[in-house]
Amino acid sequence: MIEALFARYNYVVFALLLGIGLYIVIDDENLVKKVIGLNVFQTGIFLFFITVAVQDGAEPAVTSTGEGTFVNPLPHVLILTAIVVGVSLTALALALVVRIHEEYGSIREDVVVEVLERD
Amino acid sequence: MIEPAVGIELASILVVVVPILAAVIPIAFGRLSEWVGVGTALAATAVQAVLAGVLAWTTLSDGEEIVTEIGGYGPSQGGIALVVDGMSALVVALIGVAGLAVAVASLDDRRRDTFYSLYLLLVAGLAGVCVTGDVFNLYVFLEISGLAAYALIASDGTGRSALAALKYLIMGTVGASLYLIGVGYAYVSTGYLNMRDLAPALAEAGYTDPLVLAAFAFVAAGLAIKIALFPVHTWQPDAYTTAPDRVTALIAALVSTTAAYALARLSLTVFTVEFFAANPVVQQVLLAVAATSVVAGSLLAVLQSRVKRMLAYSSVSQFGLVVVGIALLEGPALVGAVVHLIGHAIVKGGLFLGVAAFAGAYGVTTVEEYDGLGERAPYASAAFAVLALALVGVPPTVGFVGKLYVAIGAVEAGAWPLVAVIVASTVLTLGYVLRLLERIYFTDPAPDRAARAAADGGPGGGSEGGPVGLSGRPVSRRRSAGRAIVAVTVAAAIAAVVLGFAGAGIESLLEPTVSTLLDN
Amino acid sequence: MDSVASLRPLLAVSLPAMAVLLVLASRGRPNLREGWTFLAAIATFLTVASMVPGALSETVYVTDLGTYATGLEFALRADPLGVLFGTLAGFLWIVTSSYSVGYMRGLNEHDQTRYFAAFAASIATAMGVAFAANLLTLFVFYELLSVATYPLVAHDESEEAIWAGRKYLIYTFGGGVAILAGTLIVLSLSGTTAFTPGGIAGLATSDPTLARVAFALLVAGFGVKAALMPFHSWLPDAMVAPTPVSALLHAVAVVKSGVFAIARVVLDVFGPEAVADLGVGIPLAAVAAVTLLVASVIALRQDHLKRRLAYSTVSQLSYIVLGLGLFHEYALVGALLHIPAHAFMKITLFFCAGAVHVETHTDYISEMGGIGRRMPLTMGAFTVAAAGMAGMPLLAGFVSKWFLVVGSVSIDAYAFAAVLLLSGILNIGYYWPVVSQAFFEGADPDPKPLLEYPAGGSPRGGRAGSEARAVPNGGSPAADFYAREDDRTDAEEPAGSHGAHTETGDHGGHAATDHAAGWERRSPLTESTWFMLGPIVVAAVGAVALGLVPDRLVFLDLIQLIVENAMGVSL
Repeated sequence: MIEALFARYNYVVFALLLGIGLYIVIDDENLVKKVIGLNVFQTGIFLFFITVAVQDGAEPAVTSTGEGTFVNPLPHVLILTAIVVGVSLTALALALVVRIHEEYGSIREDVVVEVLERD
Repeated sequence: MIEPAVGIELASILVVVVPILAAVIPIAFGRLSEWVGVGTALAATAVQAVLAGVLAWTTLSDGEEIVTEIGGYGPSQGGIALVVDGMSALVVALIGVAGLAVAVASLDDRRRDTFYSLYLLLVAGLAGVCVTGDVFNLYVFLEISGLAAYALIASDGTGRSALAALKYLIMGTVGASLYLIGVGYAYVSTGYLNMRDLAPALAEAGYTDPLVLAAFAFVAAGLAIKIALFPVHTWQPDAYTTAPDRVTALIAALVSTTAAYALARLSLTVFTVEFFAANPVVQQVLLAVAATSVVAGSLLAVLQSRVKRMLAYSSVSQFGLVVVGIALLEGPALVGAVVHLIGHAIVKGGLFLGVAAFAGAYGVTTVEEYDGLGERAPYASAAFAVLALALVGVPPTVGFVGKLYVAIGAVEAGAWPLVAVIVASTVLTLGYVLRLLERIYFTDPAPDRAARAAADGGPGGGSEGGPVGLSGRPVSRRRSAGRAIVAVTVAAAIAAVVLGFAGAGIESLLEPTVSTLLDN
Repeated sequence: MDSVASLRPLLAVSLPAMAVLLVLASRGRPNLREGWTFLAAIATFLTVASMVPGALSETVYVTDLGTYATGLEFALRADPLGVLFGTLAGFLWIVTSSYSVGYMRGLNEHDQTRYFAAFAASIATAMGVAFAANLLTLFVFYELLSVATYPLVAHDESEEAIWAGRKYLIYTFGGGVAILAGTLIVLSLSGTTAFTPGGIAGLATSDPTLARVAFALLVAGFGVKAALMPFHSWLPDAMVAPTPVSALLHAVAVVKSGVFAIARVVLDVFGPEAVADLGVGIPLAAVAAVTLLVASVIALRQDHLKRRLAYSTVSQLSYIVLGLGLFHEYALVGALLHIPAHAFMKITLFFCAGAVHVETHTDYISEMGGIGRRMPLTMGAFTVAAAGMAGMPLLAGFVSKWFLVVGSVSIDAYAFAAVLLLSGILNIGYYWPVVSQAFFEGADPDPKPLLEYPAGGSPRGGRAGSEARAVPNGGSPAADFYAREDDRTDAEEPAGSHGAHTETGDHGGHAATDHAAGWERRSPLTESTWFMLGPIVVAAVGAVALGLVPDRLVFLDLIQLIVENAMGVSL
């Protein structure tokens, strides 16, 4: 069991990153940390996709001479796209946090909710 | 196979590309004239509506799928295909029309140029979700529309809406990410991303394979968040309530609708009926969640005092019905789901436009404040009432036809408890709709409020502050609702009634699609 | 049965529907608006009447409006049963239109445009119910009828009216849920929902348990509007509506659409034979019998005249349902004949109650001492109709009850016959006090304390505009109002103290004394406006004619035809 986990350590890390990310998203009151948690969560997924493309002794597809094996380029392409999406999401999320901070003077969700309820 | 995209294939590309490209114009040329933003939005959504109409017309009248391979790369070369069948054609047409209608209704509510860019990105992303034939591409479009939606919700800059948008962003991203994990699992077990290739490959991998099961679980969970099914609906009421009124109309009409479409597409085209046959428990879980949504959404809606929030919870309930229709895997039920998707979009969009019209003209936002609107705004109120009855599912409106088909499907499947939930949803919906109608037509505006308004005297007191400021607004200052928005609301009401007779027509149009989806 | 494609059934539905738009368009011009109502009413009646000869000669006019959903046609079809209901509603709409004008103007009611529009919409949907060719079409119009009548129930806009409207909609939509479920089961069992005389063929041979469930769901759903117990309580509350609404809708169109739909279910969906074979007819009849007796007993205790009439309606509707549950041709004839018979009698009674309300603002029987002097013609008509209700020979109620009793005796169901006879006595019990108050009581104030909650027609005070009435009225409306205000506050106090009782009694007595002093003697010609007296006379004459010469009116012929088709016997 343990050996199997060690042999596939990157899958373990994938699962851990998902868990940690989701935990931060759910549990932390700090909105910026929530956004960080979201990033950790997504990074776990990126890792998963790259992991499945790994092949021992293979060359990168772009520089491949066409002989021998080369790495499946598709997951890399997908993850490049996903990273772009993730970056834009983070940017938008941080912009929203800035807006919330301007309005309520706090980036903690519980504080903001308290202010909102007082209205 | 490798043909240049011409003719109708071009339309399926342009329906996405036109609004995306047009989205650049307001940002680039916005300074030239104040009309650039709104003009571009109108023109682009109009073009999109026409393209979507042509696309839908061709697909439905031929009864065949339109397949477009982008750049001429086949699926084996990792190319992305756009596939339009009857179901996607109808939803694309809906997106085109609703996008244009809300743009027209927003004429009197001029905003910054970036708003229109976001607006166009949203409709482009939604159209993309519908036309794509590639599961990863679907993720990208889902996120494009998501990003645009988050930003639109916060677009009037209040702290409240920013918080709701952030909440939506976080949940929406988690949902989309779960979907992506599901796609990853499916890719790992098959090596394909194209929907048509995935279907047989998944069958080969074995439907009871844990990886395949996990793939579906992640996909379904992710999309359930995007659809806002109970209990992962929590982002939705805040987002709908705090967004600018017209934005709510657009989002309520289209965003969850498209996510529900994606669920239907993934369930039926990618995982196929056999997957559910091999795993009956998956179908049962889906049905149970959906049925719970129907009941819980309605019950939560009854408890609300703000009209927008009430209608938001109502969407939770209505999408439960749609997912029941999808998960029953019966022909009539699937037709019902599609009809209800379209019907709900028109009805809910129209209702939120009505809310926008009332709020704009009289500053009313809560159920209590709707007193006597029937006399103050007869046309908007009449349209609102018709739409509300359509939401209840009073025959012969579109709300009834969708429900009827889903119920017929449930009867054919012998799922009697579901039949009970479906038909009883009428009364549950009536529970909250009736409160509104009573207020609008059978209650006079509270005298003390009118008196307060009179004492307030004259214009100038109408600041867009909190609810206190809103209810204190002078009623005597009869600012009537904008013509455009009332016209669109009335049009939605008429459509809701006319489409009520289109059930059989839609059924025959969808017949080839439904048999393809359910028989393979 | 020849089916002939014709637009006439559609026309019967769309004429009143068009009237809705015309009425709304001519708001602000009351005379034009009421003109449209009259025009549409007459045109609708003529359209329906034109189908009577066809119906009698076994010609069925059909308007096919296409497929609604798989296996569900959307079609209208004027068969004898539909024509029976359509003719009745169409004719009485003309009468009620005139009465409505007199009533609404006499009280200076608010929102008259909404009222007349909703009224026309109700008739349009009632016509749809009459001519629906299958269960689904029936369901569509049945639900629309609920929606269309809702504004009429809530018309008053008082707390009480809104609550009554809410109750009404929730009850009827709850019934709609059951109907839809039942329709779907019928569809899945037999593959069709089209009405077939004698029953849908596949249904009798299908799974009996599911068929029973379907029957129960359908009857319970339609039973809401037919005010079968325990789904009846919306009806007395709905008496808060203006009296013409109570008269046409809560005595004819709405409640009869429920009864009519049950008749459809029994005769044309399941067929009387299948109903008997499934063993669901007798339970239905039993529910009806209980409703009949209990409602009569409750009616005895109502002091508010319209509420008493409402409970009488609950009871009388159950006569019809009772007859439908019994598997005998005479019982069916009696049941179906009671549809028009009760319609004419009850509409007369409501018209009278409304006329009394408009002229004297009296709603409570205890306050009506000697009112026969003030309104001789009205109270005379009331007496005739009430006698008919009790089943006096030579009046409408007698003929139908005779058939019902003969039918139940023929199948040895003596219990039901006994219930019918007992109910006749109870009918006398609750109508006699009204008649005796009107004609034989004088100034004698009722010493008993009044604790009745005024559920219908609460005093409208300023809005009703009693000061605006041109006709000088008998009695003192002011005292009247006070008395009732007191009643209400008293009723709202839980278990009012003894002192409050005497006080109320005093006030009641005060009002009655005032009336007694003030009931001037009027001749039948001047007691009220002819907008109201005309309809009263017409309806009362109808009730008498149905009793004297039932075979000369078209209803009995239609009913014979219906029953012959359904039972396969010749009468």
